[in-house]
Amino acid sequence: MNESLERLKEEVAGRLSRSVSEAEVEQLRVEYLGRKGTVTGLLRGLKDVAPEERPQRGEELNRLRAFIEERIAGCLESLKAEKRSKALTEERVDITLPGSRRERGRVHPLTMVVDEIVDVFSAMGFEIARGPDIEDDYHNFEALNMPKDHPARDMQDTFFVAAERLLRTHTSPVQIHVMESRKPPLQIIVPGAVYRHDDDATHSPMFHQVEGFMVDRGIAFTDLKGVLTHVLRQIFSADARVRFRPSFFPFTEPSAEVDIGCVICDGKGALRDSHACRVCKGTGWLEILGSGMIDPEVFRFVGYDAEKFSGFAFGMGVERIAMLKYGVEDIRLFFQNDLRFLRQFPSF
Amino acid sequence: MKLTLNWLKEFVDLRDAPEKLAETLTMAGLEVESLAPARAPDGSEDWIFELAVTPNRGDCLGVIGIAREIAALKAGRMKAPARKPAVQKANANAPVKVEIQSPRACQRYSAQAVESIRLRPSPDWLRFRLEAAGIRAINNVVDITNYVMVETAQPLHAFDLERLDAKRIVVRQAKEIATFVTLDEVERRLAPEDLLICDGDVPVALAGVMGGRDSEVHQGTTAVLLESARFDPATVRRTAKRLGLHSEASHRFERGVDPEGTVAALERAVALLQEIAGGNTFGGIIDRYPRPPAPAAIAVRHARVSEIVGVDIKPAEIEKNLKALGCKVQATKAALKVTPPTYRGDLTREADLIEELARVHGYDKIPSTLPRALLSGKPDARLRADRGVRSYLVGEGLVEAIHLPFTSADINRRFPGLLAGEKPVAILNPLVQESAEMRLSLVPGLIEDLKVNLAQRAEGFAAFALNKVFYLDTKDEPAERYHLAALLYGRRGRRGLRAEEAPFGFLDAKGLVEGILDGRGGEWSWNAADPPAFLHPGRAARLAAGRAELGYVGEIHPDLAEELSLGRCLTFELDFGKLLQYLSPELAVRSLPRFPSVERDLAMVVDDAFPAQRIIDWIKDLRNVLIEKVEVFDQYRGASIPEGKKSLAFSISYRAQDRTLTDTEVQTVHQELVARLGEVFGAQLRG
Ligand SMILES: [Zn+2]
Repeated sequence: MNESLERLKEEVAGRLSRSVSEAEVEQLRVEYLGRKGTVTGLLRGLKDVAPEERPQRGEELNRLRAFIEERIAGCLESLKAEKRSKALTEERVDITLPGSRRERGRVHPLTMVVDEIVDVFSAMGFEIARGPDIEDDYHNFEALNMPKDHPARDMQDTFFVAAERLLRTHTSPVQIHVMESRKPPLQIIVPGAVYRHDDDATHSPMFHQVEGFMVDRGIAFTDLKGVLTHVLRQIFSADARVRFRPSFFPFTEPSAEVDIGCVICDGKGALRDSHACRVCKGTGWLEILGSGMIDPEVFRFVGYDAEKFSGFAFGMGVERIAMLKYGVEDIRLFFQNDLRFLRQFPSF
Repeated sequence: MKLTLNWLKEFVDLRDAPEKLAETLTMAGLEVESLAPARAPDGSEDWIFELAVTPNRGDCLGVIGIAREIAALKAGRMKAPARKPAVQKANANAPVKVEIQSPRACQRYSAQAVESIRLRPSPDWLRFRLEAAGIRAINNVVDITNYVMVETAQPLHAFDLERLDAKRIVVRQAKEIATFVTLDEVERRLAPEDLLICDGDVPVALAGVMGGRDSEVHQGTTAVLLESARFDPATVRRTAKRLGLHSEASHRFERGVDPEGTVAALERAVALLQEIAGGNTFGGIIDRYPRPPAPAAIAVRHARVSEIVGVDIKPAEIEKNLKALGCKVQATKAALKVTPPTYRGDLTREADLIEELARVHGYDKIPSTLPRALLSGKPDARLRADRGVRSYLVGEGLVEAIHLPFTSADINRRFPGLLAGEKPVAILNPLVQESAEMRLSLVPGLIEDLKVNLAQRAEGFAAFALNKVFYLDTKDEPAERYHLAALLYGRRGRRGLRAEEAPFGFLDAKGLVEGILDGRGGEWSWNAADPPAFLHPGRAARLAAGRAELGYVGEIHPDLAEELSLGRCLTFELDFGKLLQYLSPELAVRSLPRFPSVERDLAMVVDDAFPAQRIIDWIKDLRNVLIEKVEVFDQYRGASIPEGKKSLAFSISYRAQDRTLTDTEVQTVHQELVARLGEVFGAQLRG
């Protein structure tokens, strides 16, 4: 290549390497390769070159042009990459800023607990049944072996809406409704609101229960123990200690109160500071549900043959379980619907 | 029931320390609620037990009953009964005659006269035990009756003998006797079936419930007639409950006292009166016991015990444990013939005895089993719907609220629910007058919540409730409906950097309802006529499916909002139970269209009150097969629009099932539609 072309090549390379913008590079392209550009001019001048020199001169100029084009392309690419990388740096967000969203709502904690209990029983094949909140005396008491003037009625102070109509004091009347209309085998749970004439930090005039019962041939007290132990370990923890102790309900015989090892003091009855645990009153146990084998008298009321069928029934307080699971101390918090309380629970 | 350990020890030699004994009792159904050390007046160590006695165990409302229970549980051994005072049977000299006129209400009446009593405070040891049992000490005579009651579970009553003028005790129903002044100086109105103890014709006590003012032991008393009776539990309970006179005595009578125990209790009281009050009996024990119950034997089958309990309790153990409980047991081929002791009136059936056997065997020694699976469970449609709608509303930012269902008559008048004119259910014995009715609507509860939260400086509020409302049906019977309601106030909550949200408006509330109905099929209609009175008349609508009223949506009436000191609140309330019936159970998915659609917009200027839906309905009624969808997408009032008018913008989507529509084809149909809309509605159009 002749010396002047060699110089030209170096000049272009030098200028391209110093250019800092796409516009500058574009300018150089016009200056050398444009219609009036230097290289274009040289190519155009080929016709004046002696014919024997023309092929070589032509090839040299074409190589020069290819060289410049390649350099320009490379230069543009690196400028673009530089620009993108600069942009990537500048566009960096502060990922510690809070996400932007509409506030989600919350399902009520009592609903969460009922759902959890229902799911445990559903997985065992129990069906849901429901009944009216306003009951008659027959279903709420009489057919559950609590005749008028029975002292057991004292355990359930009652709201009346008419002489024989009342707000159910427990979900047990649904046992009667179901057994009146269906034959065994039955395994049913009944979530619902119940009412007692009572109002303080641990009692609300309305609260929720989940009732359940199972009736078939050959159901025994050992089955009651097995099913309820399984259920409580699902609801609380797989290694929860469960104890059954005798009690009295007019509609079950034998009857059992079921306790779990205290979830607050871990069943020790005392806290780490050696003060007695307030939640279990130092006993290490928490009463969690009432249960028993369905009394033959109840079967007589619904027309079942107690010699053929047997079954167990149980009832648990939803608020009590929620209070223990979440460490809520005042039952009234569940019904004040203070967002500061409700928003402490997860949204699903 | 409270008692001291040393008192118990008079009747039973205990095997264990107090804590262990408490554990044994709790695990046998006599729950020990508290156990506290105490010091007796003589300086000796004692313990106070508090027991929760279930209503079936009247026998355990006495120290002796608990001692027997401890022995039956093999946690101690009964001591031989202490000295028996020499009491003669009644003789001709008995100072008082007794006549039972109502033998059904009074199965036994025993009495003993005691004279030369010196009335004074009781000795310290007696006061200590009585007070440990939760009973206030008064004077030695009254204290002794109470002491014997706590010891034997048999209530006693002492009449001042000198104040019994007729000296003739008559146990009878009140019938024509209308009032009686009890010893608390309150004149009580009697019911004809109340059981009275009369002195001749004059009532001196409400049997088993409370004595009378005029026969009470008082400062000058020197002679008493002690009463030890067995009254019918239901009779005592009815009277005590009606008059609100619950006492230690009525509590025990209601749970049934041992008809065979009246005399022993009298003897114990006499011994104490002699020891402490210097009394002397005269005239021997008077005892009326018209029809002693014939104890009926109960058949207990070994096989049945195993069947119910689920473990094989051996016949020998059954027999031994029943005997330990005081039963007489006679073995026959088929079953054991068991006669429970008279103090266990709760044991009348085989089932009762099976419970006793399981209890004494120990629940903790009975294994756990899982029953053979019943594979008949069904999913619950209501549960699915509840969960679905909850999760939708939670996603929309609403918080679920749960309320007590009680409200006031006033609130029910203002918020009468979905159907005006329904009567509320009233509570006969409300806790307070402000909660004397059952709610007709879920909305007032949500408004209460809003106030609670505004007081806590909440900026916006969006909540829903899914619960029952109550009303009287056409036959005036209480009935229930399952409602879903929501309340929106202020602005939607946001998280993140501050950004403006528009305040909640009518369309937000309506939109939530539409979201519930979305994709559910069914024919819904919104109607602005006759909105509920508590809603803004211009910002309210009713939702119906055919003739069925399903709910309403709207803004709380500004007058009402002002009265409640609230700003603008939006609400909806649906009869969710009914709504579920109208939701199509089956979904059919259409195949996706094969040819593209063409969208055209049109805007019309109409009167301000003109409802957009009329245009949509009119276009749909054309049933033009090329018109696939009509939607309103904008409403505008302002500069370019004359006063009293608004501009509505619609988007119309054209599509053919069998070909791609050409521009000219669409243009022709659309122009024709625009022209006809102009003719029909006389509106200015831009198409
Ligand atoms: Zn504890």
